Amino acid sequence: MSVRKWLEDKQKFGGLIEAFFEEAVRNSIAHENDKQIILSENNNDLWARCENCGNMLHIKFSKQNKSVCEERGNHLSMDSMERIEPSIDPNTWIPLDEDTISKDVLSFCDEESYENRLIRSQEKTGLPEAVQTGIGYSNGTLIAPGVMDFQFMGGSMGSAVGEKITRLIEYATQKLLPLVLVCASGGARMQEGTVSLMQMAKISSALHYYQVQKKLLYISILTYPTTGGVTASFGMLGDIIIAESKAYIAFAGKRVIEETLGQKVPDGFQLAEALFENGLLDLIVPRILIKGVLSEISDLYSSVPYKKN
Amino acid sequence: MEATCLPRIYVSASAKASSGLASCASTSNTGNSSWRRFSCLRNSRIGVMESLQMSQNFEFNNWRHTKMSKKSVACVQVLRAKLNDTERKTHDDDDEYPWPQKFGTEDLEGSPLPFLSRFKPLPNKPKTVTLPFEIPLLEIEKNINKIRETAKATGMDFSEQVNELQRKYDEMRKELYGQLSPVQRLSVARHPHRPTFLEHILNITDKWLELHGDRAGCDDPAIVTGIGTIDGMSFMFIGHQKGRNTKENIYRNFAMPGPEGYRKALRMMRHAEHHGFPILTFVDTPGAYAGLHAEEHGQGEAIAKNLREMFGLRVPIITTVIGEGGSGGALGIGCCDKMLMLENSVYFVASPEACAAILWRTADAAPKATEAMKITAHELVELDVVDEVVKEPLGGAHGDPYSASQNLKEAIMRHMKDLLKLDPDSLLKHRKAKFRKIGAVQEGVKLDPRFKRKMKPRDAHLDGEQPPQMT
Repeated sequence: MSVRKWLEDKQKFGGLIEAFFEEAVRNSIAHENDKQIILSENNNDLWARCENCGNMLHIKFSKQNKSVCEERGNHLSMDSMERIEPSIDPNTWIPLDEDTISKDVLSFCDEESYENRLIRSQEKTGLPEAVQTGIGYSNGTLIAPGVMDFQFMGGSMGSAVGEKITRLIEYATQKLLPLVLVCASGGARMQEGTVSLMQMAKISSALHYYQVQKKLLYISILTYPTTGGVTASFGMLGDIIIAESKAYIAFAGKRVIEETLGQKVPDGFQLAEALFENGLLDLIVPRILIKGVLSEISDLYSSVPYKKN
Repeated sequence: MEATCLPRIYVSASAKASSGLASCASTSNTGNSSWRRFSCLRNSRIGVMESLQMSQNFEFNNWRHTKMSKKSVACVQVLRAKLNDTERKTHDDDDEYPWPQKFGTEDLEGSPLPFLSRFKPLPNKPKTVTLPFEIPLLEIEKNINKIRETAKATGMDFSEQVNELQRKYDEMRKELYGQLSPVQRLSVARHPHRPTFLEHILNITDKWLELHGDRAGCDDPAIVTGIGTIDGMSFMFIGHQKGRNTKENIYRNFAMPGPEGYRKALRMMRHAEHHGFPILTFVDTPGAYAGLHAEEHGQGEAIAKNLREMFGLRVPIITTVIGEGGSGGALGIGCCDKMLMLENSVYFVASPEACAAILWRTADAAPKATEAMKITAHELVELDVVDEVVKEPLGGAHGDPYSASQNLKEAIMRHMKDLLKLDPDSLLKHRKAKFRKIGAVQEGVKLDPRFKRKMKPRDAHLDGEQPPQMT
């Protein structure tokens, strides 16, 4: 064991020593681009803390490792850009509906008006809505991915999310592309009331045409957390349902169950592993393997000997 | 119980209290007196339950030395059998289910279907429940009754005052019920005596046959399914059933279905499509059941499957919200060609209490949440979610259930006539279009680049390729 490794083990800082070396190298060679990126981000964002073991991860190395803690493989949450970037082959991404955002249909105002809340979230997260949709090549296959982002208002599904996902499904139906939806949501957007509830039906209707009538492949990937309306609509409708390790997948949240039952919910009850044991998922795939697994799956499905109408 | 050579009599507290056995029972173990004790108990007036519990506590193995007549043994065995029967849980404690043990000759004259229905009128008229906004009406009613009583007692004529007060009562009632606020409508939608699904069914159908089970291990009582006729035409009926009193509510789980309920509904919907029954669904649920069992058995998956499959059913579907429409639990049987709502019913994505707790951080803000979320029928018609509001009689549906059911029947038949003119493909397109247009988005406005800095920008270099256009 080298001295460096021993130091890392002792101090439990994953990648810290490497980070120091890297900084030193960078300062001496002065890569301008790298410096600017790191200086423009807040100091807080340079380090991420693993919730499971308390390990500190430097942002650059955690990104290389796809935000997976090296200690015990705990998957940290990732935003949509971090998911799309490594999965799509370079110079092949075409985004859809970039400028589609929600309207304040109910003129809703709780502690803050819905419009202001939207603008504040857009400024803070740098996303116009809670989902990014588009088409791109992944390992040579053209796919239609939609990636939800939990950072934007808790990933809640409002009219814009419903509309973007429905349009993605309709586009994939027209062009006969495999569909991949990465789900991360706290449920339906309460500020849009019953209109956001109907988005569940809208997406399911598009999926019916896509899956049942056109018989195309839809893979849903459930990440931390997937709750409420998304679990009860497109999240659980995949031909193949993949979950990430220790993802929280639920219909009713823990607090609601405890209030209904008056009992404590057992630990690990609604995690991906528990759902897997109960037969509700197809696979639990580590993040680092997802891109490869998706291309293998689409390969398997396209090599069927029996041709459909 | 310890094995002793001498028996002990353990008498349960209930047995003691109800049958006054305190004098008879004792826990001393003198063997000689035990037989005397048993005969004393046998001769005293004791109920079936108590004697059986006591008989179970006797260790007959240790009673070799006692003489029990064959008659007593038989008696105890019969009592024991009866106890075992009553221990098994029957849903309504109804001796007549699944069918009456004895039919009279007159019973067999009409249709046999009513015998198969477990839903009977309640034996006792339920106590009237007054909602907070109805209190002024209650006071006027009390005054009217007081005057009527004095008139009876004294024999004097107070008809003028009575008529005056009655007129005032009617006017106030009309005014109150003409302008209910969303919070008041919510309380009417949740009224304990609001007519339930089965009450509406028995008012509007000529024939009714309930069908059960999901053929996979469960018959969820919260969702009721069956076939019936309205004006000679057969339909499939599916709906959430609330209880009419606390006991029924516990049996029906307060109309909160688990995944088994949705699978039962799906089986019935497929059955209806197969045989050509149009489907009428009735929504009246606070939400899908949030429990450990439901989560383990795939509550989300069951609802999702229902949503997807309902868009492929080649028969007309009309959904009516007759009470509360609770989020995914309601939508699980609510993807339809036409959506109707009773005037005082509500349809929400999250209950106002939950919404208040999350957004306002206090449950006291529930009235504010009710107003803000726009959950009542008239507001939803404006949002183009609901197709028609069915009028309720003055005083709410609970005041005059029969009229409410007739209004419902008229609206359903009117919409069904229009839908039956469409062929199945147009029907599916129409259903898809109905939900496709729901949603309010803003587009065409160039967004501030700061708001898109975390979006992956286009980097495809396909020659001459324009951004994808939808055809």
